[in-house]
Amino acid sequence: MSKMDAFAQAGKTAVMQNIQGTMQFLQRFPPFNQMENAHLAFLVEQCQLRFYAANDSIIKPSDGPVEHFYIVKQGRVVGERQHVTRPGTETTFEITSGECFPLAALLGERATRTEHLAGEDTFCLQLNKAAFIRLFTLSEAFRDFALRGVSSLLDQVNQQVQRRAVETLGNQYSLNTRLGELAMRHPVVCDPATPLREAVRLMHEQQVGSIAIVDEQRFPIGIFTLRDLRQVVADASADFTQPISRHMTASPFYLSPQASAFDAAIAMTERHIAHVCLVEERRLCGVVSERDLFSLQRVDLVHLARTIRHASRVENLVSLRGEISQLVERMLAHGASSTQITQIITLLNDHTVCRVIELAIEDKGDPGVPFSWLCFGSEGRREQTLHTDQDNGIIFEARDAAHAAEIRGRLLPLAQHINQGLAQCGFSLCKGNIMAGNPELCLSRAEWARRFAAFIREATPENLLASSIYFDLRVVWGDEQACEQLRQSILEQVADNRLFQRMMAENARRQRPPVGRFREFVLTRQGNDKAATLDLKVQGLTPFVDGARLLALANGIVANNTLERLRQLVAKEVIDPLDGAAYEEAYHFIQQTRMQQHQLQSRQNLPYSNRVDPDRLNHLDRRILRESLRQAQRLQSSLALRYQL
Amino acid sequence: MSLFAWLRPSQPRLDEHLRQRVEQLTAPAPLAEHSLRQQRWVVLDLETSGLNLNRDQVLSIGAVVIEDGAIDFSQQFERTLNQRDHKLTSSVLIHGLGPSAIAAGCEPAEALLTLMDFIGDSPLLAFHAPFDQRMLGRALKDHLGYRLQHPFLDVAELAPLLNPQVTLREAGLDDWTAYFGLQAAERHNASADAMVTAELALILFSQARRQQLDSPALLDQQLQRLRRRRQQSHGF
Repeated sequence: MSKMDAFAQAGKTAVMQNIQGTMQFLQRFPPFNQMENAHLAFLVEQCQLRFYAANDSIIKPSDGPVEHFYIVKQGRVVGERQHVTRPGTETTFEITSGECFPLAALLGERATRTEHLAGEDTFCLQLNKAAFIRLFTLSEAFRDFALRGVSSLLDQVNQQVQRRAVETLGNQYSLNTRLGELAMRHPVVCDPATPLREAVRLMHEQQVGSIAIVDEQRFPIGIFTLRDLRQVVADASADFTQPISRHMTASPFYLSPQASAFDAAIAMTERHIAHVCLVEERRLCGVVSERDLFSLQRVDLVHLARTIRHASRVENLVSLRGEISQLVERMLAHGASSTQITQIITLLNDHTVCRVIELAIEDKGDPGVPFSWLCFGSEGRREQTLHTDQDNGIIFEARDAAHAAEIRGRLLPLAQHINQGLAQCGFSLCKGNIMAGNPELCLSRAEWARRFAAFIREATPENLLASSIYFDLRVVWGDEQACEQLRQSILEQVADNRLFQRMMAENARRQRPPVGRFREFVLTRQGNDKAATLDLKVQGLTPFVDGARLLALANGIVANNTLERLRQLVAKEVIDPLDGAAYEEAYHFIQQTRMQQHQLQSRQNLPYSNRVDPDRLNHLDRRILRESLRQAQRLQSSLALRYQL
Repeated sequence: MSLFAWLRPSQPRLDEHLRQRVEQLTAPAPLAEHSLRQQRWVVLDLETSGLNLNRDQVLSIGAVVIEDGAIDFSQQFERTLNQRDHKLTSSVLIHGLGPSAIAAGCEPAEALLTLMDFIGDSPLLAFHAPFDQRMLGRALKDHLGYRLQHPFLDVAELAPLLNPQVTLREAGLDDWTAYFGLQAAERHNASADAMVTAELALILFSQARRQQLDSPALLDQQLQRLRRRRQQSHGF
């Protein structure tokens, strides 16, 4: 660059450099990065910059209705809420550079409920209420953010994920597409008296694979598909003049047109069906076929499930496991949520387990006694990820101890065979030997009941750990009644035993979420790692899982799944609805981050690890992760309060 | 020209309109006894063609206002002056004001008048204030025939006064900015320097309140005491 050029460059001083500088600063953060320049300039021009020394109060409940909107320019603001029942305060949130407060109070025209203090020397941009309102009317991006707060951040993350998916796959599909949008054509219908030949002619003319049989109010009472037709043709004695009601599948499964493509895929996978009727106000309004879903998603879920159920050898199942991993990869790329993915993995794993058991019985012969296959831990909670190990057992009915021992003798060889088969399919053998092939886990209902009662009666550390695994039990294969009886008695005993609950609460507080009062994250260095990290599973998810289990068991809630437990706890008014929603979002986000990480590791041929270096996340993800971990902390403090720890 | 004209201080020729405006400028108020928060302050930074108080010229002026204890973004002043006889010197490498920017600048008399209107009767804050005070004073005299009498407080003096525990020798604005961990977006342009100086002032005012020095007058007295002590100790 010549000397004159450098001078010319230097001469280009923007008008009002400080306004420009502050705008550039804000544009690093949402929602300011989405606002129009003119609106942002308006915001900055109306601002005042204030300094707060560490521990200075910025706003507090006694100040009355909030008069200003604040953006942290530099430093850290902490929220301190007074404990309701005891002296002292708890830190409820942290706000750092680029973040704003107090939106809810400002919009609600009320005082803040939380005292906002400077956590360190802090500069805040302060906007008066009149200017805030003006901006709120002017800027859609700002309004949207103000109204929806952090959940709009979560939406942004999801949008980001889906945008990436569209970029890589060039596909507009989403698993969340409403079924009503999918079933474009009018369904082909007939009444139950229609002759079979006439119904088949209708299907042929319309080029469809199914016909719905409806009553006078147009409610579907049956469905007839090409698969059914094949059966009719195969039957030599079939009479095509008979009414279709003789050959249809009665009471077909149906969903609302508001349900998602995901719901339909799950239903098809669970029920082994290829068509789902759509019913609104008890009237048929469409039929969605497996093919409709395929063309939409290219996610071969239903097909995969069917192939698993019909695999003729364990070796075939082993090769199918690879496809499950690819399916998860595709779904994550398509922006499926972590809940959807754990649900699908659990479903496919359940199918695999069932098939391994059936193949083992074919192989080793029927033991001649009815039994049910149990699973525990994350499998029991339907929260499995791709990398998972076996936690299973067997339950059977026996007259007495001698009878039980005799049945156990017959079942154990089969159970061990099944354990090995599952290991072949990628369910690694349990290091703690929590497997059905272990005589201590192949028990009669009475033996299980005694064992569980001992866990609750004698709350030793080992028993508490065991209860955190076993009490999430569920039947994967076989009759479910014995297991339900066990569960009921667990619920009754836990509800009666306040001491056990207290010990569980203490246990649930052992893993502290890694957020500190003075730092963003509390990280630890593992071995020779270069970067300090935190454990998403143990430090992030476990507090939610343990907390939800304790409250569910103590309040007679049958569900096993953590999110389901939280929802029912809200319904039973054990947890405040707002808290419940916050816990759910937080849990969901941590799980999603963990899965994306696993997927990345598997692509790079690295071993699976739950440890994450927050500095490697993008700004938005890091901020939400911190907020999510803080929710885990809140759940723990609520347990402390509830059980007076 | 008479020989004596050389010895008389030169009076600028002002047109009638400008002269009226100069006469109407508000007189400065003395440093008040009320709280720091109640005082409106103007924080000033000048970029000059060099450090010679008698020869160098003011090239640009940046000013921000502290009012009600906060920096008010709606009151900002920013001007580059069109100094006709400006010669390019090495200081351009610091302030970055090239000949083109200077040529595009405003008429100095007009800019200075607007600045004095902007300042009103408020006291001034600057980092190394005596320098800004002298440079601005000379510019006002040369261009407007106006005598600058506004009180100045020197942020470079206030910082060590309120932070006696800190041992920074002859610390500059950069040193104090770093000490307080301030994030300066861009330095060495008058506006950004005025902004950083103002942020520094906010921190210092917060310290002053804690040290029971919560008024402009008290701060000034304390500074004078410090200066006297320093002179005495130098006397030995």
